[in-house]
Amino acid sequence: MAQAGGEKRERWRPPRGRHRLPPEVIARSQRERLLEAAVRVVAEKGYGATTVADLTREAGISRTTFYAMFEDKEACFLAAYDSVAEALVRRIATAYEAEERWPQRARAGLAALLEALAEEPAVARLALVDVGAAGPAAQRRYRAALQRLTPLFEEGRDFAPGGRSLPANTSRMAIGAVAGLIADELAEGRAEYLPSLLSDLLFATLVPYIGPAAAAREVGGNE
Amino acid sequence: MPPSSSHHSKVSAAPAKDLGALIEQERLPASREDLPEPLVIHSQRERILNSMAQSCAKKGYGATTIADVCEPAGVSRATFYELFKDKEDCFHAAMELALAEAMGRIVAVYSPDKPWATMVRDAAATFLDLLATRPGFARMALVEAPSSGERAFELYASGKRVLQSLLERGRDDPVEEQAIPSSAGRAALSAAESLIVGQILAGNTARLGELLPDIVYITMVPYLGQEEALRQSRQAEREIAPADG
Repeated sequence: MAQAGGEKRERWRPPRGRHRLPPEVIARSQRERLLEAAVRVVAEKGYGATTVADLTREAGISRTTFYAMFEDKEACFLAAYDSVAEALVRRIATAYEAEERWPQRARAGLAALLEALAEEPAVARLALVDVGAAGPAAQRRYRAALQRLTPLFEEGRDFAPGGRSLPANTSRMAIGAVAGLIADELAEGRAEYLPSLLSDLLFATLVPYIGPAAAAREVGGNE
Repeated sequence: MPPSSSHHSKVSAAPAKDLGALIEQERLPASREDLPEPLVIHSQRERILNSMAQSCAKKGYGATTIADVCEPAGVSRATFYELFKDKEDCFHAAMELALAEAMGRIVAVYSPDKPWATMVRDAAATFLDLLATRPGFARMALVEAPSSGERAFELYASGKRVLQSLLERGRDDPVEEQAIPSSAGRAALSAAESLIVGQILAGNTARLGELLPDIVYITMVPYLGQEEALRQSRQAEREIAPADG
């Protein structure tokens, strides 16, 4: 699996032709290359227009190798999507855990997310906007990735006085607000401005838990 | 598909408006030579739009083929291409229909004399009810349209803007005076949308009405504060409870 969302294109490749690397190392590297290629190609061409041939060409592997790893384009894309989501969630969680108070934890997690997305706008668009075009299975993966953030948002209930009496779907909705604001920005082609969205995202995260007055104070107090 | 009034919706630019009620009531047979031609075309068009929505609900817009649309509608490919340029054109027309109906219902609920909270709650309840009774269109409008080409996205986005401006009226009479960001209304709508889409994807479209208390809370809390938004949410909960029986 890709190590981190921040790692860039130029990955080490095993030399072509005869070499002595163990086969499992080669297979692992091929799989990684393929997943990265899938994200890149789909982000560029759109899911519908992408063919298996595009993927094998970009990854520098044969069709046989492709079909040994994945049943079809969709299976490959879903695996690629999962690795992108995994890297993003890990990055958010790491930043979040480094802080103490929940509003600060939320701020750090959101900042890490925005930073990661701004680094790779094409991947960001794919992850949050175009994923819908890849069919129902991809949409469910997207939802599943969002839901992995639920425990981080649910801590808002412990932090907020009266947090337990908030509606059952509060954290789902707060996550949806954050994802929606980011997707709006990406759809406008404004990926480079993502980091400036932090105050809006923080407000949207905090407001259902602590109300508008306290949320505005938290947003303003730390800038 | 059994004939049922829930599969029908008004076409925005119906050629024969007085026949609208008849069409809503009953699905017309595929070919009836004694029917006036505009009515046959109207009905064919509507059936095609419905099966587009149904197919989107089942396998997504990307995987939908012309055959998926023609077969359940009981029309030939030739008829399809007489009425629509291509798949995208058909999808766009289906989206227009869905949007026209949604906006029509919301406009019917809207009144400048109503208190803001009442209007937001009524609009949310109406919208949820519409989605719950039209699962194919719900799926198409909220799940497929945002990622099915620019034209469909524009329609989806314009619908969202209407809801947003409706919601942002809350800013005119602020109960709690503080600096809430200008994106608060858009964020609240995205929150509600995300919850709805999650339920649609989970196959719970028929039960969308149960989300009303959650949606009332999230759309009102930035403007009215927690206490009042919770009160409104609980009131909405009481209102939908007896209707379930």
